[in-house]
Amino acid sequence: MIALSLVFLAPLVVMVLGSLQRPLQPPPDGLDLWPDPAEWSNYLAVPRFMPLAWLLLNSLLLVVVAVPVTVVVTSMAGLAIVTARGRLRRGLIGVSVFMLLVPAAALWVPRVVLLRGVGLADTPLTVALLALAGTTPFYVLLFALAYSRIPVSLLEAATLEGLSPYAVWRRVALPLGRPAAVAVAALSTLYYWSTFMDPLTLVSSPGNWPVALGLRRLSEMEAALYPIYLAGAVIVTAPALLAFAIGQRSFFASVERS
Amino acid sequence: MSARRLLAVLLGLAAVSACASAPGEDAAAGSATARITVQLKADPEEAAVYRSLATAYQAAGGGEIELVTVGRKDHLTRLSTAFASGDAPDVFLINYREYAPFVQRGAVRPIGPLLKQEGLDTADYYEQPLSAFTYDGALQCMPQNISSLVVYWNRALFAKAGLPAPKAGWSWDEFVRTAQALTADGVKGVGIDPSITRMAPFIWSKGGAIVDDGKAPTRTTLHEPGARAALQAVVDLIATGATPSKDQLASQGLEEQFMTGKLAMFMSSRVEVPALREQRGLDFDVAALPVMGTPASVLHSDAYCVASSSKNTKAAAKFIAYAVGQQGQTVTALGGRTVPSLRSVATSPAFLSPARPPASSQVFLDAIAHLRHTPVTPSWPEVEDVIGTQLQRAFEDGVPLDEVLAEIQKQADPLLRRR
Repeated sequence: MIALSLVFLAPLVVMVLGSLQRPLQPPPDGLDLWPDPAEWSNYLAVPRFMPLAWLLLNSLLLVVVAVPVTVVVTSMAGLAIVTARGRLRRGLIGVSVFMLLVPAAALWVPRVVLLRGVGLADTPLTVALLALAGTTPFYVLLFALAYSRIPVSLLEAATLEGLSPYAVWRRVALPLGRPAAVAVAALSTLYYWSTFMDPLTLVSSPGNWPVALGLRRLSEMEAALYPIYLAGAVIVTAPALLAFAIGQRSFFASVERS
Repeated sequence: MSARRLLAVLLGLAAVSACASAPGEDAAAGSATARITVQLKADPEEAAVYRSLATAYQAAGGGEIELVTVGRKDHLTRLSTAFASGDAPDVFLINYREYAPFVQRGAVRPIGPLLKQEGLDTADYYEQPLSAFTYDGALQCMPQNISSLVVYWNRALFAKAGLPAPKAGWSWDEFVRTAQALTADGVKGVGIDPSITRMAPFIWSKGGAIVDDGKAPTRTTLHEPGARAALQAVVDLIATGATPSKDQLASQGLEEQFMTGKLAMFMSSRVEVPALREQRGLDFDVAALPVMGTPASVLHSDAYCVASSSKNTKAAAKFIAYAVGQQGQTVTALGGRTVPSLRSVATSPAFLSPARPPASSQVFLDAIAHLRHTPVTPSWPEVEDVIGTQLQRAFEDGVPLDEVLAEIQKQADPLLRRR
């Protein structure tokens, strides 16, 4: 198990070591060796090539808004699928699966046209609007799966007690589906932190781009400046790793409790 | 789905919105100092060059420029999505091999009359890129640079092998012998990209052609004697073992192999210069392409286009006139990446100064006399992909040349006829 996790950690280690190499050297043969001496100044050079603080702020804003909205929308949709009956239920699942089959590229143009039409095509939060549509049907199906394990009699009893559909979702389904909520929150955080194709096609002004898109541009840096690109990659990856480190305890705890 | 196929699809959608806003006589010209958006593909260092260009333009009394610098891989994706959704930049910089689909779908406003109003005289510029950017009988976009294919060579490795510097007009046989002499343990003589842009000069040099008619191509002609002989000569060179093996190519690009001294020569355009300059201890220069029959080279050129949807054509034209003018071209020439399209700057120290490598920048200007360009036709980007994929099979996997040429005919000819 530990050996397996080491395999997955290797790219991170290479990234950190690479970010400490001296720039303006010929590209290495294969993997970088231990940097000697470590060039911490690479980290200070990153803002010279992209407005790092500003882009990080855009990304943070995006995640803070988009993730809660995604969880709320997809969990409601998941409950709707579970409480539907017969043909309607099959239809809803069918629609979700079908939407998963649509290639992302096919949606770029309609999305931009739609957002421009309502005048929302150029804000740091433009990409967060995707959360109103649940980001991806996969999260909806995840919630549907989690809620399908709740006894039907329990949901029906709650309705007979006079609870509104909203209260059933808020006071019965959501607490019982907590592991799914945590999982969707984790997955959508990663999605919004690392998406660059959506902002590239949706957002007009570079000033409103998230940090992932800035990093993608940095990846085309001349070979000699690669350490600076890797330093940028470390800076952008660190918050995501940190969030996972903090969140993992509650994540595993909630999964074990279920 | 390759990026270029996607481009074709997206541009199909763009046609709708472009037609809706086709330029009329009464099109709004806007104020000369209105804020405009300029999209170009640039890596971070190039972006810095364009930022200083925008700053210099404002200092000279120009309006505000919003630069959208996009990575090489994303430039066309973003451009075509933006056109399809009516969110196009006012000005964009694009390669002549990729602009035809945009013109065909009405996304470009012909630039000739706009620049005339700015008092720009195209006679001051080299005519090869002007002709490459002339489509449907009108100058569509204004060329920024005129690069060509040259041989980059490593002086240290040449000295070590006891070889003299390559001379202008050297023959293909001399080139092959040189590559073999340079091939020693850990070093390969020459790297060759399997692309039609790299092969074109040799095909023309041998008297062959890529297509039946450069103006209105209907089929490819790579299987005909002249072109086939040129490609066979390259296949024979690869067979001598003087080029990197498939594994070596998979692990490192030609540029990186050249930087680390694993490759003594490779062919490319001016674009490599800034990266090679940054390599401490790399002593390199450029030389003319070897000749198979008559001297030939292939044009590499980007131009500024004005989007037909732009409301600020006056400001757009003013900026372009500045960018391709004396000051603008000097700024970009000093960046090292471009060969200026303005004759007076191309022959000035800003470009030719031997103080910064390559010492023989004159080679780029000498090539201009026999520069030709690949056909300008809407389906060209896809045709280029097809030919590249097939040449790679011949050059790297040892598939017989005739089999590959038949496959190119089968796949590329319908694309050309589709128009």
